[in-house]
Amino acid sequence: MKARVTEHLLSFVLVALVLICALFILKSRQDTARTASLSGIRDYTSLSFMDYDDPFQRALLRDVMDIYFPGSHDRNDSLVTAALRYRQEAFNRSVQTSDMREELSAAKAVQLFGMYLKFLFVYVLVMAISWYGVQTLAVWRFVAERREPIPGRRVRQYFLRALSIGASLVLFSPAYVIAYSVRTEFNTDTLFFMVLLGVVSNGLLMTYANKFHAFLTAESRKGYVETALAKNLRNTWDTRTGISLAAIVRPLKRFDGHVFNHIFMNARVQYFSTIKEQASFLITGLIIIEMALNIHGHFSYEMLRQLLYGNYDIVIAIILGIFFTVKATEMAADYLAHKEWLKYENH
Amino acid sequence: MRTTEKLFAQLRTHKDTRWLTVWVAGLLCIVLWDLAFLNRPAFMKIIQGFWNTMAIAFLVTLCTLLFAWVATNLLHTLTMRTMRVPYLTLSFALNLLRSVPQIVGVLLFYVLVASLVQKGSLSSSAAIAPFMAVGMGLFIFLELTDLMRERIDHFRRLDFYNAMRVCGVQEKRIVNFDILWKNSRVHILNKLIAVFGMAVFLQCSVDFIISVGLSNNVNAVNLPSTLGSLLAKIDSKQDILALGYTLTHPSYAAHLPFTHLLGLTVAFLIVFTLLCMHHIANGFAERHRL
Repeated sequence: MKARVTEHLLSFVLVALVLICALFILKSRQDTARTASLSGIRDYTSLSFMDYDDPFQRALLRDVMDIYFPGSHDRNDSLVTAALRYRQEAFNRSVQTSDMREELSAAKAVQLFGMYLKFLFVYVLVMAISWYGVQTLAVWRFVAERREPIPGRRVRQYFLRALSIGASLVLFSPAYVIAYSVRTEFNTDTLFFMVLLGVVSNGLLMTYANKFHAFLTAESRKGYVETALAKNLRNTWDTRTGISLAAIVRPLKRFDGHVFNHIFMNARVQYFSTIKEQASFLITGLIIIEMALNIHGHFSYEMLRQLLYGNYDIVIAIILGIFFTVKATEMAADYLAHKEWLKYENH
Repeated sequence: MRTTEKLFAQLRTHKDTRWLTVWVAGLLCIVLWDLAFLNRPAFMKIIQGFWNTMAIAFLVTLCTLLFAWVATNLLHTLTMRTMRVPYLTLSFALNLLRSVPQIVGVLLFYVLVASLVQKGSLSSSAAIAPFMAVGMGLFIFLELTDLMRERIDHFRRLDFYNAMRVCGVQEKRIVNFDILWKNSRVHILNKLIAVFGMAVFLQCSVDFIISVGLSNNVNAVNLPSTLGSLLAKIDSKQDILALGYTLTHPSYAAHLPFTHLLGLTVAFLIVFTLLCMHHIANGFAERHRL
């Protein structure tokens, strides 16, 4: 565990250093480019006493230049013209890109931090819901497979099968397909809708519920299950004497006295190892949702916007935030898995 | 007669074959429907978009296999030769890559591709597609590397590994031929099916995002048209929006498969392919008890 924490912290530091260096390099390049474009005319572009809009003062500047640098009228004239053109272009540029050009100032950093907190809130909420959803769906499917089919309910079974295929199509839809499908009737830019999309779209729930179900199935085939049955643990699957629906939907699942309790606990330990993968996939999903739906004022949408405007310093800061989130999740997942293993391996 | 019976029996028992058949049959139905009701230029766009998406996803799968095989061999060699520092450095670098969410990595790679396109270094779709596949493969291959390393670790604990070593069989032959090829081929293939699905998802998502959000900077005409970029077009978006309208005006549902065919076809192709790929991979794993 110590080695893992060290590795995580090292990568934290290394990536932060690399990205901060990239930030500085970017800034210094921008400064160099600005200086290069001003070479020769720097002294004449911002004379504090001069009104550049006044034609008289512009003519006066030319005359003063001729007095100070006699014998080089053409050069003086081209210098003043270049300085005036530079000022005009700078003004035009500032008007055209006033809503695009941004720098990583303190105010911007505070704004980004607010967005980051919002992103973290959604992420943690979706993670918690999907954690619950994955386990509940997998357990429900596992238990349902073991229940005796009720005879004479073929139509109901076909109906449920069709419903499940329909639900699968929704659960496997990318977030933008679902969002655009309901956009005319619902406001899809709300936090609630984002959380909902995060949970039900992009195949997140189905993929990991299937994984958890596979862990449950693999565990149920192991020898200790036979031993537990020989020791007379409960092994019925119906709702009254076996596993009730209330037990399946409970957030903290326990199936005391039933053999499934052991199957579930052992499968859950393995599920911990996939949490990192799930978290990374979830972050990918959230980024897709924010970017594809153009949800203004959100962290990932801001990254897309800044990428579009070429404000790479802000993009780097956002990437750093996302990287920290992933790393923090990885550390938490490693810690949880380690804690769980300690219970079973008696270290 | 017997062959047909065999085929039906296979479809009943093999979930992967069944879903593969469902996928192909579904695609054929869509093609026939579109041929009948969709205008020719739009139909050709869909065909091209679907073909490009599948081709790039296939290339991504190949790149993933190549990268994973190289990384596994490299890591294994470094472990066996007890070269601790290079091993730790490489593992550290790979873990760092793992911590970059795939979509961010792929998006940044696309920005790089776009700048190369703008500079004229990349011009044709034929050159861009493999480049995009390499970028996506870079952010996916670690899953396969993990699987390959697990398989090698598992077999190294068994007697046959030591027995082969004692018999003088070369280490790289044991790893590449006996473990990975002969004993893990099915596992790798199963992972590659999942990778293919993942590639389709990432490809469509990134293309959609780029077409919606970065279209000013990235000249979408130069990038190969895919299902994602087709879905981002205003016509397709209007078609998808019509679905929402149907929720409150159910009688409008009858118009959907005739008047909103472009967007619905593209969305359906994405969702249907993702669903089928998931079931094919699961069925394959169940059949081979992976």
